[in-house]
Amino acid sequence: MNGLIQTLSDILNNYGLRQEFAIRACFYSLAVLACIFGLGVVTLRNIFHCAISLAMTLFCIAGIYLFLNAEFLAAVQVLIYVGAIVTLFLFAIMLTAKIGDRSIRQTNKQVLASLAVSAAILSLFVSIIIGSPWKKAAADDTLRLGIGELGKALMSVYALPFEAISLILLAALVGAIVIGKAGK
Amino acid sequence: MIIPVLTLIIMLIVGAVVLGFIAVSAMFLIWWERKVSAHIQTRYGPMRVGWHGALQSVADVIKLLLKENITPSGVDRLSWWLAPFFAVVPVVMVFVCIPFGNIFGIELIARDLNIGILYIMALTSICVLGIFMAGWGSNNKYSLLGGMRSAAQIVSYEIPLVLAMVTAVMFAGSLSMQKIVEAQKGLWFVFQPNMAIAFAIFIIAGTAEVNRTPFDIPEAESELVAGFHTEYSGMKFAMFFLGEYTNMFVISALAATLFLGGWSGPFLPPVIWFLIKTYGLVTFMMWIRWTLPRVRVDQLMGFAWKVLTPVSFANLIVAGWILMK
Repeated sequence: MNGLIQTLSDILNNYGLRQEFAIRACFYSLAVLACIFGLGVVTLRNIFHCAISLAMTLFCIAGIYLFLNAEFLAAVQVLIYVGAIVTLFLFAIMLTAKIGDRSIRQTNKQVLASLAVSAAILSLFVSIIIGSPWKKAAADDTLRLGIGELGKALMSVYALPFEAISLILLAALVGAIVIGKAGK
Repeated sequence: MIIPVLTLIIMLIVGAVVLGFIAVSAMFLIWWERKVSAHIQTRYGPMRVGWHGALQSVADVIKLLLKENITPSGVDRLSWWLAPFFAVVPVVMVFVCIPFGNIFGIELIARDLNIGILYIMALTSICVLGIFMAGWGSNNKYSLLGGMRSAAQIVSYEIPLVLAMVTAVMFAGSLSMQKIVEAQKGLWFVFQPNMAIAFAIFIIAGTAEVNRTPFDIPEAESELVAGFHTEYSGMKFAMFFLGEYTNMFVISALAATLFLGGWSGPFLPPVIWFLIKTYGLVTFMMWIRWTLPRVRVDQLMGFAWKVLTPVSFANLIVAGWILMK
């Protein structure tokens, strides 16, 4: 009986899931899902489904951020991109599209030109990724950036870009109101 | 590094306990709402199943489980099937960092994330996707109108809601839920004049966020049948119901944590304090629902943008000034 309990506790404490394996599995499945949903955005024929697919892609990317120790970025990604931008897309689609509507074609005559442009951008990214000297990330949490440091950086070193972005957003807001008023 | 089987089993048990709590809490809240509304209208409410109808919700759940799951022929299948999950899953995920206090020295919080409150904001902001999918996917005028109204309302009221949360975060100096509770050990935030305003804004915006009267225009039954879930039946309808009542619990739990000191309190164990505060706030929201009439759409949006948002911004600035002083 004692032997049985001993074996059982041995199994419970010493066997299990390898953490690295679990992290890798989650990371790669998220990456693959992000690609699949990303393809869905540009190939699905129902515009509402495209928007849902976009939301799922952004979710998967937020998940990848989580595995890269960037929790703040992940939360902000979901809050802004899924919670605000995709919501806005869906709102616009609901105002204009109905289920009975003819499904849209995602391709037109410019497919070859756009393919060339995309290939050019892809090769640019790939060359940058290959060319940059990647530092081997430390295994512990030394890379984890606290929210406090991030806030301080935004308010001191990066104050100018921060203010510039808020100015652009304000301009967009005022512009939207002016365009909206013009119709009346 | 290896995650032992024991840890995995504990993780599963914690998950099951949280899910069980959510289901029981939602069933209790549905029964409680019926009782509260009945007593406000000098009725008895459910009386037959169990003591004062306490088992009525169990009977209702069994009924909903056994009901036929009807899919109307004109629906958009993908959105139709996904919508109930989008209505429930984010709300369940919020429970990861709700601090229930501690019992026998064990902290009752699944994971005290250092971005706690931001995580909750992010998840509550995606509940609206489920409402969109249900509203558009049902291929029904009433559902579509309900979905549109709901989206406009939730997006508008999210701004004052988040600004009120930010005021509490500024006073606590941390995003972690446990640290916010600990910051209120001496004095609950709600007793400071500045935070009292934030608390009022939070409760108003929170009521709007969970689509309850006086802000229930997305499912105004006299205008829109049942709003975005008109076409749903059986278990899918029950999922929306579960999501709605759990959302109410979450908003009250957040209000209790951010402004009423969370699980801290004298004499009674922390868990009891947390539950008293949370269910007290839920009861308050029910009281409002059965007392006030529904507002009009334009009044609702005007109130959010012309009153609530400027007031919460001004409040935030004053809070910053107090902290900098």
